[in-house]
Amino acid sequence: MPKIIVDGKEIECRDKIPVLQAVLEAGGDVPHYCYHPGLSIVASCRLCLMEMKMPNPKTKAMEWTPRLFPSCQTPVKDGLEVRFESDKVKDNQTHCMEYFLLNHPLDCPVCDQAGECYLQDYSLKFGESTSRMVEPKNKNPKKDIGSKTLLYADRCVMCSRCVRFCNEVAGTGELAIINRGSRAEIDVFPGVPLENKLQGNVVDICPVGCLLDKDFLMQQRVWFLKSADSVCAGCSAGCTITVDANEGKVWRLKPRYNPGVNDWWMCDEGRFGFKYVHDPRRLNRLTVRRGAELDYPDWSALPEIVTLRLESVVKKDGAGSVAVVLSPFMACEEAWMLASMVRCIAPQAALVCGPAPMVGEDEAFPKGGNGHPAKFMIRAEKCPNKRGIEMIIAGLGGPTLSFTDFLKQAGEKKIAAAWIVGGSPTEWVGDDLKKALGHIALVIAQDIFPSAVTDAATVIVPSCSWAERSGCFVNVDGKIQPFEAGINPIEGCQRDGNYLYAVFGGEGLYSAEKVRALMAKQMPAFGQLHVPPPVPEHAH
Amino acid sequence: MTAKPDWKQTDIIHVDQPELSMTERMYLPQIFGGMKTTLRHMFKKKLRDETVVQYPEQKRQLRKEIYRGVHRLNRDDQGRVACVACFMCETACPAHCIHIEGAESPWPDREKYPIKFDIDELRCIYCGMCEEACPVDAIELTPEYHLVGGSREEMIFDKEKLLNIFDRTKDEKPRKNPNITGY
Repeated sequence: MPKIIVDGKEIECRDKIPVLQAVLEAGGDVPHYCYHPGLSIVASCRLCLMEMKMPNPKTKAMEWTPRLFPSCQTPVKDGLEVRFESDKVKDNQTHCMEYFLLNHPLDCPVCDQAGECYLQDYSLKFGESTSRMVEPKNKNPKKDIGSKTLLYADRCVMCSRCVRFCNEVAGTGELAIINRGSRAEIDVFPGVPLENKLQGNVVDICPVGCLLDKDFLMQQRVWFLKSADSVCAGCSAGCTITVDANEGKVWRLKPRYNPGVNDWWMCDEGRFGFKYVHDPRRLNRLTVRRGAELDYPDWSALPEIVTLRLESVVKKDGAGSVAVVLSPFMACEEAWMLASMVRCIAPQAALVCGPAPMVGEDEAFPKGGNGHPAKFMIRAEKCPNKRGIEMIIAGLGGPTLSFTDFLKQAGEKKIAAAWIVGGSPTEWVGDDLKKALGHIALVIAQDIFPSAVTDAATVIVPSCSWAERSGCFVNVDGKIQPFEAGINPIEGCQRDGNYLYAVFGGEGLYSAEKVRALMAKQMPAFGQLHVPPPVPEHAH
Repeated sequence: MTAKPDWKQTDIIHVDQPELSMTERMYLPQIFGGMKTTLRHMFKKKLRDETVVQYPEQKRQLRKEIYRGVHRLNRDDQGRVACVACFMCETACPAHCIHIEGAESPWPDREKYPIKFDIDELRCIYCGMCEEACPVDAIELTPEYHLVGGSREEMIFDKEKLLNIFDRTKDEKPRKNPNITGY
């Protein structure tokens, strides 16, 4: 590991990274706009310039060079000595900030980026308090560049991150810089709007409020949002995200750095696919069907209701007539608690992995990658935890059934009771399942939306969306990633973990860690979680 | 280990309630003493006129520029709501009584405007922080203090109601600063 000297202090850093990245990783704050660790380096913003020691060509002695060097473009080398705490560097930062703010409108009060804007932060930290500009400011137009993105050209600082993202990660290259100098603008080509499936990321990497999300536009001020570390439930890639919520409502999802899984990115499908969380059609009442009548018991009665009903089935038809359909939308903890509980009542109960929705094929980015390894993948398997459910079923052992076998056995009236878990945001009940449901005497349905399963069920347990739950998902590569709840469950619902923990007979209150510790005794794999490394405080 | 108290037993002084005398136990002299003061104020006309305001026939003299009564939402010179929905007042409000919903404005000179602007006047503590926070001086507190309503819902003032208060009070207290348009 090379050691470099920054402002007289020696820091140890990773090999083959720019000085800027090394300083950021050591906890320092160097202003930068154009540098992004996931994109190529252009050194165009000139904010991160530093002084460097180099040998004097005449005397061969190491001296501070008269000119400044971009720290984002200078790779680290053992023994390299640089400094940021000099007047020359600080003057450069102040002058750069003044240039950036020459034509920037003072519309922070109505700008959605305010509060997480690096023009605000750097202006406060490295800039001047007033502007010397006396001429009228250039006013560039507001442009509608794509179905999900707006471009406010006058807020732009020309860092070209968005352009490089579209070229290098999305591989579609819709954005370009047109014109030169103070007339330079980001724009799309005529008739070719920004329509790639990763376009939400250009909004994230924009350090200022130039690129904005139409979906989030003017919805909330960012300082009201509380972030929870979560994992996207949109597909099996398992991108780590933050759920940004305020007053019980999810407002947006943002990707969270996770090297090797989603890096800095996430797809639009996941980013904007959380709307079903607040769908008014969601089930929100624990319901028990008694003949034609519907009864709405209290949540505290649930353990007794399900235990009594399952026990009576076991007494009548034997322990082998019970099946549990675990959904690939459940967290591992929930699936384990449910399966263990049913196995306590009916030791021969069959465990079934529910159907995983498949849409199209896996999609790799950049588009047209010419055989280069993909930088981002959107998976065809549109559920977050199929691997996890399979791990739980294998770990618990005992009788298992594939979903088709389960349908066949149900059709042959071999199954008298089934706890069927749904949780899919889309319609998931196929005709074969609809037909099979008629042959099952006791159906306990746990789902978020009304479906054919809840119509046929004796006990309907309203489930929560992933944003309201906590636990862990196992992604397509087998990485076990924990996620936290972003919001409280909607009125009438309870966290799946909470009631399953009560049904399971756990002590005290549910916490995902507690259940994971119990699981790890049975399945040691669950003792090892994949938690992405922290992002340097001043990096963006 | 229990913490050692930093006082000594000898520091404690026991104070008994003083014994009441016969007259004190009757309470009547005190009652008459109090009534004497009341009666004195009742019959001294000068003192009465100086201190007592015959509300509601008579109104208090207010310093209208600084009195913090019910809020108003100012209109700009074209009669539109001056608010730009920046949420600064909602952020500054210590009582969390302001609820705004912003949207893209229909006017070319402005980015954003409030489609909903509710102030819960029952929850408000009339501290004036919203007025301080507003970057366009759109929200102001007025000298109006008659605040009556038949229900809690009625006391949640919406955008229309707040704009009406501006129309009602703009002569009494003109808008502080000219409206700011363009950035």
